[in-house]
Amino acid sequence: MSTPAAPPSLPVALALWRRSLNEVLRVRGALLPATIAPVVFLLGMSGQFGRLTGLDGFPTDSYLSWIVPLSCLQGAGFAGAATGSNLARDIEQGWFDRLLVAPVPRPLLLVGPILGGITRSLVPATVVLLVGLAVGAELPGGILGLIALYVACVGFCAIAGLWGVFMALTFRTQQAGPLMQQGVFLAVFLSTAYTPEVLLRGWLAGVAHLNPVTYVLELARQATVSGLEPSVGHTLPGLLALVGMFAALGGLALVGLRRMGR
Amino acid sequence: MTADGAVREGRVVVALGRRALSVQFRRAQLLMPTFVLPLMLLAVIASGTSAAQDLREFPDVGSYLAFIVPGTIIQGALLAGLTTGTAFAADIEFGFFDRLLAAPVHRTSLVIGRLAGTLGLSVLQSGFFLVVAFAFGARYPGGVSAIVVAVVLAAITALGIGGIASAIALRTGSLSLLQSIFPFVFVLLFTAPAFFPRELLAPALRDAAAYNPLTFVVEAVRGQLTGDGRLGDPWAGLAAAVGLAVVTTALATFALKERLRTA
Repeated sequence: MSTPAAPPSLPVALALWRRSLNEVLRVRGALLPATIAPVVFLLGMSGQFGRLTGLDGFPTDSYLSWIVPLSCLQGAGFAGAATGSNLARDIEQGWFDRLLVAPVPRPLLLVGPILGGITRSLVPATVVLLVGLAVGAELPGGILGLIALYVACVGFCAIAGLWGVFMALTFRTQQAGPLMQQGVFLAVFLSTAYTPEVLLRGWLAGVAHLNPVTYVLELARQATVSGLEPSVGHTLPGLLALVGMFAALGGLALVGLRRMGR
Repeated sequence: MTADGAVREGRVVVALGRRALSVQFRRAQLLMPTFVLPLMLLAVIASGTSAAQDLREFPDVGSYLAFIVPGTIIQGALLAGLTTGTAFAADIEFGFFDRLLAAPVHRTSLVIGRLAGTLGLSVLQSGFFLVVAFAFGARYPGGVSAIVVAVVLAAITALGIGGIASAIALRTGSLSLLQSIFPFVFVLLFTAPAFFPRELLAPALRDAAAYNPLTFVVEAVRGQLTGDGRLGDPWAGLAAAVGLAVVTTALATFALKERLRTA
């Protein structure tokens, strides 16, 4: 008897990617929380803390420009973390068990959902950017800056997705949803979210310096912050931070995947 | 209503209030957004924006942490109120509320019982936030009476937000809708001087703040805790909180009547 040939990897990944995109088309308002929350934070935070730009050391006089990349990352991160919630639901409902017995490499089962998260994340990131520009944010970084912003968003979404997947594979319940979202929340806010590093005080200054998301934000801010022109010096640390976080969380997700079904 | 009837309805309210609290504490994932999220935001804002004290127009306050704690307390009140609506919607969706309707009790007690749970939750939350902030260096020159006023104002505000959330739950009966209005709660928070003085808000936000009842509540709590009456009038805060609670509880009661009429 001959062994059936394993299906090729790419079509499997694409099929799972399409399936995860169906969430957006079939579930009414699926993207609303991930889109509206960052917009509310963008407008609220810039209205509350706008006068901080008057402090010595603030690189721009537009607080909106400072906060837009943060909100874009936040939206992309929430969209990525939703990958974990969806996976937890699939595990609870038994669908993921069926995928585990399919003759495909297990890591491939994660590629489609992560790609789906990345695709979905473009919606909140773009909506936040457009709202920010509409209410007065600047775009001094031009096309190169925009590319840097989207690379940061896409990369951060993938990382948030891996974090969500790791949580889902560890707890195997949708009740871990708040942990996935708040992991993203913490990662973003324990950085130079509100003010540049020189203006941070106390414990947050040290934490933000060590937090790789600080460098991802610097990468993203090349689009909108006039003091951070697109350059290798502002890009490379962010890219390295993304690669490092991707490797660490990807490794954890693979460990969790290996434990499934044992 | 007779005295016996009033006592019986009181027992119903207490029992439903206790149930609302015990459900909250049995499911740890419900505690994350109501207890942990506001503290996380407090920690980040306190450290991330404390340089604001260097702004010329910033009021002279002894502790920046104590200045922004009122924002955290009101955020907690908002989330406690929203949790009420979410739990209400879950009861409706899973059929528990229908069983309550079949019980020989006054219908209004069902709404008030749920809101009593909100009051209890808010008191616990505010106390928790004040103690944690104190441990991290916040000081309350207003003293014990100021702390009591702050906790009471927050509890009445939570009741007000719980009223809106309950009204939405009763009108729609949709758990997913209640879960997705979470970001809109922050609109109320950010259009009040929750973390920054009103004079330093962006002009559009400053104009909006004048119409937001939470503005007066948060300023009242701030004035009390810092012991500086210029930062907020407690009577204005009380009027705003009570007004909000009365209007929204009436809305929730009306929504219940509508639900019963159309059921």
